[in-house]
Amino acid sequence: MEHATVIVIGGGATGVGILRDLSMRGIDTLLIEKADLVNGASSRYHGLLHSGGRYAVKDQEAARECIEENKILRKIGRSCVEPYGGMFVRLNSDPADFEDAWVEGCRVSGIEAKQISLDEAFRIEPRLSKNVVSAYMVPDAAVDGFRLSWQNVDSARRYGGRAKTYEEVVGIITQNGKVKGIRTRNAFTGLITKISCDILVNVAGGWAGQVAKLAGLDVGVQPDKGTLIAFNQRICNHIVNRLHKSSDGDIFVPHGSITILGTTSMSVDDAEDTSTARDEVESLLAIGEQTFEHLRDYRILRCFAGSRPLYIPPGGAVGRSASRGFAIVDHGEQDGLEGMFTMVGGKFTTYRLMAEKLSDAVCKKLGNTMPCRTAEEPLVPEVPEEERKEARSYFPSYGTDLAATRLGPDRFKSVVRRLKQDPEKRELVCECENVTRAEVEEIANEPSVHQLSDIRRRTRVGMGTCQANFCALRSASIFADCRKGRQDDAAQDSLAQMKELLEGRWKGIRPVLLGRTIREMEMTRGMYELLFHVNGGATK
Amino acid sequence: MIKSDVIVIGGGIAGMVAALVSARNGKRVTMLTYGEGTLPLNSGVIDILAYDQQHHYVENPMKAMESLPEEHPYHRIGREAVEEGISFFREVMGANGLPYAGSFDRHLFVPTAVGTLKPTSFAPRSLAGSRVFQGRRKIVVVSVRGLKDFYGSIMLENLKKELGESRSYEVAVVDPNLGGGRDITTQDVARWLESDEGRRNFVAQLRSRGGSDAVFIVPQVLGLKDGELSEELEERLGAPLVETTCLPPSVNGMRVQRILIDALRKAGVNIVENTRVIGAKVKGSKAISVTAEGCARKKEYTAERFILATGGFYSGGITMRDFDKPKEVVFNLPVSFVKGEAGWANDKLFSDQPQGFAKSGIRTDAAMRPLGADGKVVLENVRVCGRMLAGYDFCFEHSGNGVAISSAYKAARE
Repeated sequence: MEHATVIVIGGGATGVGILRDLSMRGIDTLLIEKADLVNGASSRYHGLLHSGGRYAVKDQEAARECIEENKILRKIGRSCVEPYGGMFVRLNSDPADFEDAWVEGCRVSGIEAKQISLDEAFRIEPRLSKNVVSAYMVPDAAVDGFRLSWQNVDSARRYGGRAKTYEEVVGIITQNGKVKGIRTRNAFTGLITKISCDILVNVAGGWAGQVAKLAGLDVGVQPDKGTLIAFNQRICNHIVNRLHKSSDGDIFVPHGSITILGTTSMSVDDAEDTSTARDEVESLLAIGEQTFEHLRDYRILRCFAGSRPLYIPPGGAVGRSASRGFAIVDHGEQDGLEGMFTMVGGKFTTYRLMAEKLSDAVCKKLGNTMPCRTAEEPLVPEVPEEERKEARSYFPSYGTDLAATRLGPDRFKSVVRRLKQDPEKRELVCECENVTRAEVEEIANEPSVHQLSDIRRRTRVGMGTCQANFCALRSASIFADCRKGRQDDAAQDSLAQMKELLEGRWKGIRPVLLGRTIREMEMTRGMYELLFHVNGGATK
Repeated sequence: MIKSDVIVIGGGIAGMVAALVSARNGKRVTMLTYGEGTLPLNSGVIDILAYDQQHHYVENPMKAMESLPEEHPYHRIGREAVEEGISFFREVMGANGLPYAGSFDRHLFVPTAVGTLKPTSFAPRSLAGSRVFQGRRKIVVVSVRGLKDFYGSIMLENLKKELGESRSYEVAVVDPNLGGGRDITTQDVARWLESDEGRRNFVAQLRSRGGSDAVFIVPQVLGLKDGELSEELEERLGAPLVETTCLPPSVNGMRVQRILIDALRKAGVNIVENTRVIGAKVKGSKAISVTAEGCARKKEYTAERFILATGGFYSGGITMRDFDKPKEVVFNLPVSFVKGEAGWANDKLFSDQPQGFAKSGIRTDAAMRPLGADGKVVLENVRVCGRMLAGYDFCFEHSGNGVAISSAYKAARE
């Protein structure tokens, strides 16, 4: 039977953080994820690396944790963080006394909040509403949740950490009040595997309650759905927050060439519920346009939703008033099941700290005295400038730096080799995100890739301006080519893969079908339904 | 102030056909265009109707047309104008070296860049696949080294499903030696094949792959202008060549566009490019003029009649900044649309029913005049055609250029 000292359930930011932390301390650790890595709340959010300003009034402990982790992640995850800086703006309709409390809250939490003149605010953010009456700068940043998480896994691998995706935990094996292992089911083959372990860590986020139930335990997790809108343009150059009591639709985060606005807060029964609807979009737009009055003139790329896994202690609050803090449950102490921990709650910005705390608890149990080193060592080494320089003769325009940050040093080297050997691999599969054929082929051959959408999340193919209009054909064709001869492989049915990729895009487009977005859909449908006849029935 | 008999707003396929028909009827025509329309995107084949509203394939488009819902523009256009309009289009193409094969009562099949077969009513000889598949056992997909968006293996995978396992399938790679480190397009290859050297080279690379029961499937590269190259190359290779539909840009769409523009110039149509029409002057139930924004200043164009061919949402003829508030940008005509989220879009993109949003547009009477919510004509001297029309989802039913050409023909004749 396969064995790991520690099994971590859940491939979100916290899970990969723990995998890295324990692996660096020399503990044999295996991560199990039921779908692809980072498919839950860790990618379905703003992509905001909080300065802590958001929590400065309500929860100064969380605010302090944010600013400390913010500084650490800028250092260890340089290629994942876009250090734009953040702005808090108060509108004339927002209460003035909150501003005073906020300034004081930032001060005591150690967040540098610097007031700037309105002239300066309008100079650096020209599209801001003229109803802004005061503005502050804070060290917010944008962060790529996908990339940061994969880099954690890459880092863990260098220390012997392992990760399995598309394996769902369907049973927890216990004996005499002690955890012995798990049973997993493969998403594609349905095959059941038993894996034994000494310690089991449940960090399944919104699904943590269901996982705990497999061991007959009760953990209070309330999935709280937040809906966000991605605009096809950069509306602002900084993260722009409303300076008022935290509410819906009051944060704008620029990422590369897009901007994300969010979010809503709505209790849902199931963390799988990532549905979005027109009324959520409309309410986000109505609030968002108070900060940026021309908001509706921008093309919406798509909307998406994720569930915050809020921890609800018995009798605790829900929704916006529930704590954004996190909790570690030692089920040995709480329920008499030795060897199992659950951690829920928290936020992306503090994932590393959460992982450290949990890893400390695990190490204590295992008698391991190695200190945590995740705050000191960069996630992945930087791609050296000489290598980038060489690559620039094969990569299109600004694609070199994008690819270097996406791929990390080892894969980057391999992709550059492919580009060098065969000029045809320089074909741009995705013009929006500057992805070459060589990069798609590199990722398509990785063991963690099972379907086209896995390649999308890794390379960003299909996630840009055209929302897979052009690259659906290209990536499905290349994927099928790379996997030729593999029996029962999803890639073999290239039309199904292509359609699934486009249906995935449609899910986020459907609720935002306004004029400019309809325009894009006329084109997508014209190409795939009309020209390629992919929705054809029997015609003969 | 610039005066014409007819002003056509929009330079896509509907606008060009409407302008040409009007000019050939002796009118002084001005065509105001902004952008290109969709011809360079859409392969230029003429779909009339391939699926009914339940998404069942229909054998006979003209017959199936009769059972379309009442709102469908084909009921306004009428069978006669569909036949006359498309025949007119075919005559123009035929007279300029791009004859269209096909018929009104049964489909022909065009291979696509993913290897499926697409039903359509009329296509240039070079795209009309069903002409050649009968009895041919050897299918050779010709890909071009360095060419984007044409992948031999995905074509083989799906052609096998469409044409059956009993034939042989292979990919032949032609190297035009055009690489030089950049992606090359179908236009580059078409230009190469227009040179004697290119054709000689192409034939030399493919000759051994042919045979008497072979057929070559190629990207849209058989010449930029007309159908002559396809005939010549077939003769030299001793086997038929078929082009596929493809991702934009479409060389065949550009062939059609070029022929129509030449015909418009010959017919004396005044084409004004880079001119966005932003409003109109209306007196009672009559449009007096339209206002256009050119490079430098606003201009007013006056005419007896206006034909609106501004391409719906895709080309900006209809905008929608807020939910449930679509707007027609020139005459502010009432836009017919499905209110509310439920009927606006289906759960699936590739659905078994039409998409509600795609049916948005202007309702007209049988003379293609715009109607208000009360069913009365809003502007007597305005005609509406092409993608501006309400009541049809062209992607779902495969009716794009069929509606565009026939409605334009009717708008210009009525």
